[in-house]
Amino acid sequence: MTVPDLAPDAVGDTERPIEPDWPKRLRWILMLVIGLPFVWGILGLELSWGAIGRAPGQIWGLLGGLLPPDWSEIAESFNKLLESIYVAWIASIIGAFFSFPLGFMAATNMAPNWMTGPVRALLSGIRAFPELVLAIVLIPAFGLGPFTGVLAIGIHSIGTLGKLTSEVIEGVDPGPIEAIKATGGTRFQAMRFGVVPQAMPNILAYWLYRFEINIRASAVLGMIGAGGIGAEIVGRLRFRDDWPKAGAALILTIVVVLIIDAISAGIRRRIIAGHPGTGPVSRTLGTIVGDITPPVAEIQEA
Amino acid sequence: MTIADDPIVTQRPTEPPRSAKYVLLIVAAVVVSIPFGVLDLDSASRGAIYGAIAYVMLLMLGTTSQPTQRSGLIDLVSLVVAGAVGLKLYIAPIAARTTVITWRLSLRASLGWFLFGVVVGWVVYRNRKGTNPSAIVLIGLAFAGAAFLALQAGTDVGYLESISNRAIKRGEFQNIEQVFHVWVGLIVLGVGLAVTTSFVLGNAVVISVTAAVVFTMLAFNKIQFSVFEMFSRATQVTTLVDKLWPPDFTWSKSIGQPETFVLWQPYVETLRIAVVGATTGVFLAVPLAFSASRLTTPNATVYWIAKSTMNLIRTIPDLFWGILFAAAVGFGSPFPGALAMIMFSVAIMGKLLSETIDAIDPGPLEAAKSTGASHWQMVKSAAFPQVVPHYVAYGLYIFELNVRASVILGFIGAGGIGRLLDERRNFFQWDQVMAIVLVIFVTVILIEIVSIWVRRRIV
Amino acid sequence: MIEFKNASVVYPNGFKALEDVSLTINDGEFVVVVGLSGAGKSTLLRAINGFVPVVEGSCNVNGQEVVGAKPAELRALRSDVGMIFQTFNLVNRSTVMNNVLMGRLAAVSRWKSMFGLWPAEDKELALRALERVGIVEKAYVRATNLSGGQQQRVGIARALAQEPKVILADEPVASLDPVTSHIVMRDLKKINEDLGITTLINLHFLDLARQYGQRLIGLRAGKLVYDGNINDVNDEIFRQIYGRAITPDDMLQDA
Ligand SMILES: Nc1ncnc2c1ncn2[C@@H]1O[C@H](COP(=O)(O)OP(=O)(O)OP(=O)(O)O)[C@@H](O)[C@H]1O
Ligand SMILES: [Mg+2]
Repeated sequence: MTVPDLAPDAVGDTERPIEPDWPKRLRWILMLVIGLPFVWGILGLELSWGAIGRAPGQIWGLLGGLLPPDWSEIAESFNKLLESIYVAWIASIIGAFFSFPLGFMAATNMAPNWMTGPVRALLSGIRAFPELVLAIVLIPAFGLGPFTGVLAIGIHSIGTLGKLTSEVIEGVDPGPIEAIKATGGTRFQAMRFGVVPQAMPNILAYWLYRFEINIRASAVLGMIGAGGIGAEIVGRLRFRDDWPKAGAALILTIVVVLIIDAISAGIRRRIIAGHPGTGPVSRTLGTIVGDITPPVAEIQEA
Repeated sequence: MTIADDPIVTQRPTEPPRSAKYVLLIVAAVVVSIPFGVLDLDSASRGAIYGAIAYVMLLMLGTTSQPTQRSGLIDLVSLVVAGAVGLKLYIAPIAARTTVITWRLSLRASLGWFLFGVVVGWVVYRNRKGTNPSAIVLIGLAFAGAAFLALQAGTDVGYLESISNRAIKRGEFQNIEQVFHVWVGLIVLGVGLAVTTSFVLGNAVVISVTAAVVFTMLAFNKIQFSVFEMFSRATQVTTLVDKLWPPDFTWSKSIGQPETFVLWQPYVETLRIAVVGATTGVFLAVPLAFSASRLTTPNATVYWIAKSTMNLIRTIPDLFWGILFAAAVGFGSPFPGALAMIMFSVAIMGKLLSETIDAIDPGPLEAAKSTGASHWQMVKSAAFPQVVPHYVAYGLYIFELNVRASVILGFIGAGGIGRLLDERRNFFQWDQVMAIVLVIFVTVILIEIVSIWVRRRIV
Repeated sequence: MIEFKNASVVYPNGFKALEDVSLTINDGEFVVVVGLSGAGKSTLLRAINGFVPVVEGSCNVNGQEVVGAKPAELRALRSDVGMIFQTFNLVNRSTVMNNVLMGRLAAVSRWKSMFGLWPAEDKELALRALERVGIVEKAYVRATNLSGGQQQRVGIARALAQEPKVILADEPVASLDPVTSHIVMRDLKKINEDLGITTLINLHFLDLARQYGQRLIGLRAGKLVYDGNINDVNDEIFRQIYGRAITPDDMLQDA
């Protein structure tokens, strides 16, 4: 290809800059930073090409074992799933209840520095423990069961919700807060009338979202015996003959979780937008429960 | 001082109804019903009182008129009669039962509440212009459904009965049946009144709040969790500290061997699983994410497939993936753990990245297309550069999550330190459990600090 | 009566925004404050309700000293001083009514207000305030759904609901178009005349100041450079305040 001369007069007038080489070097560094640990990781995983080669076949075999599902004991699985959902619900309530004040205490625009610092540290400390590890630590005192499950998930939720709440609060418009102070309102009234109405829809949405996540967490906790669907699935996967029943329980879980997710997402959208959404779920909800528009303003004000 | 002494020109608007008030009203109605519920009355008289309470509530909502007026009197009488008949219909089959309450029985019994609900719906329909006639049936169904669920939920595991037992032990009631029916009645009244009110007001908050409250009550009962218990058990924290503290970092692998830092090797394995899972998953998620964003998907089919795949992967919790893979390729090795972490990472990265791509500036995409670039050329040159900083940040975040998640894989035999945690727990070596937990804690915190530091620098 | 005596304001970062200001404003006066951007107009107003700290001298509002006031005293003072903001500072998601009722916060029972249970008299007062600014029909509409001019009138109603003795308006019309600006200014002027509420307004535009003001206060670099009748302002005085001659830019309407 011949390069057409686009600038016949300009050649040589200005010196052309030299192409910098740091992007290339950066690329190499990045590759090493990502690649070396990866290789280190792979080497320790007792992998062989054989194992990798066999894996797809084995997974296919598992699918074949799970399907077609055996629905004969689905009622029992459903009760277990309900139990998981109950655990998740109560844990979410505990999380919401305690994270709400903590969120205010961790927000830099609400609380003094000597308070936000420790509260934030506390929240991120809580978040560092996976629910399951928390549950294990609680076992010596509370035994193994739904109570421990609720506590573990609830405590973890306090950590995550507290952080999200404080972020929402930090994002509110400071104008109304100032206006309330100017009328002679107290700090507490400024929170109640200036911050809560602005922040509540988002906080509420996070609570719902947390509930969705907690359902999964409580299903997982079931695996170590804290009640719910987890134990059901683990137990059945251990024996090949039970695989079709595990398949049924798994499908049930997926379907129910997807339904709850969809409903919850619909409600969340409505809460944040303050009006019915246009998606199919929102529309269905709309026909069932009516228009949410005026009440949303009231949730925040009531 | 009068602020406005000009003659008032504009008509003041009427104050719209406030949900909070109605939620309070419903709670009040339910509370008022309790003593009537537990009085030793026959079912018909109790039902008549429920009917009267419903009438008073509707009156307060402005949905019926005073009993001195003809139409108000009709409403009152029909509600009282419906309550009496309805509750009779509800109690009769249950009282006459010889076995536990089956779902058939629950269904028959809830018919009584259906009748009551239909009459409530009819009163609402009669008195409020513009009410959809479906309200009559829907309110009936809400009453019946609540009764059915309450009966089922209560009897399945016998919680309502166990509560009744407790109440009787405290000497508050004489009769299990009585307490049991009070519970069902209250739940039905709560849900039914909420649905009614939501029809009256045409809004959703009343029903959402009441439904949430009822569901919470149900959940508390089902898993036998009480707030009181939570606080009374708080004292057990001292036991906890006794058992967990001080942590014990070394123990012998098997009897007779010297005590060593046994957790080191599985700890490293956990990190390896996390690294491999995160790196692989983060790369695999890229094509998926670009296919699952409206802006960059090649076509609707691919979009739909990518989106569904992502949702499906996300629905299944990480540990479930672990056990599925372990069941497939064999328990005990870290390989299934790594596979599970890949799925986990793909799901999260797919979601975060595709949502970020949805929000990019579409201008450059158009520009690229206008130069005649192919679809994937366009994605690579115009879309990808816009999300690179986010991608890197998400990658670090996912590595963080992976470390946390991979810790627990060992519980179900998918490799890593979780196995040791489970083992020490089964040996009741709580101080050693604490040691493992502390190591995990420090690792997670350190990685988080580093990752936050790096992320700040990029985005 | 508002009385500044040799008052200075220093911001936490050490910037001296108001220097040695002495000033007396009598009850019922309508005062316009002008000055370049950064001259300290907002600072002057915010010193009156204690939003910024007066570090030297004194500032006395209706017999209450602002400097060194205890938190409860400061709140009591603020409840007598209504403030109107350039950016309205409404809670957008709340209804107009609830925004206006915020003006009653210092007066009502704390516990009742927490649950949104407002006494009937306070609701009546809020509705009157809305009637005063002519948007009572919007009482139960969410504040977001109002135009800028309407939002500012809600802001005025909120201040009125306080039953204030003083109103401070910090560039109340700066975010509004000319026509709406006049409506809002007329409202403020009428409130001042009818109810005798002492009013201090920061303004950018001179013609608005001339049209509605009586007394003019000029600030420049934190110092009081003019205090007198607005009709006496000539080019020389203008130059003192603004450091340059009048240009059409200083007028809301070029006409
Ligand atoms: N919180 C603060 N911290 C430090 N300096 C500040 C602060 N607020 C204002 N200042 C400074 O004080 C001076 C006066 O500010 P002020 O807001 O009173 O000006 P203004 O006359 O209202 O200007 P404008 O017309 O732009 O609103 C300005 O130079 C400003 O930079
Ligand atoms: Mg200003």
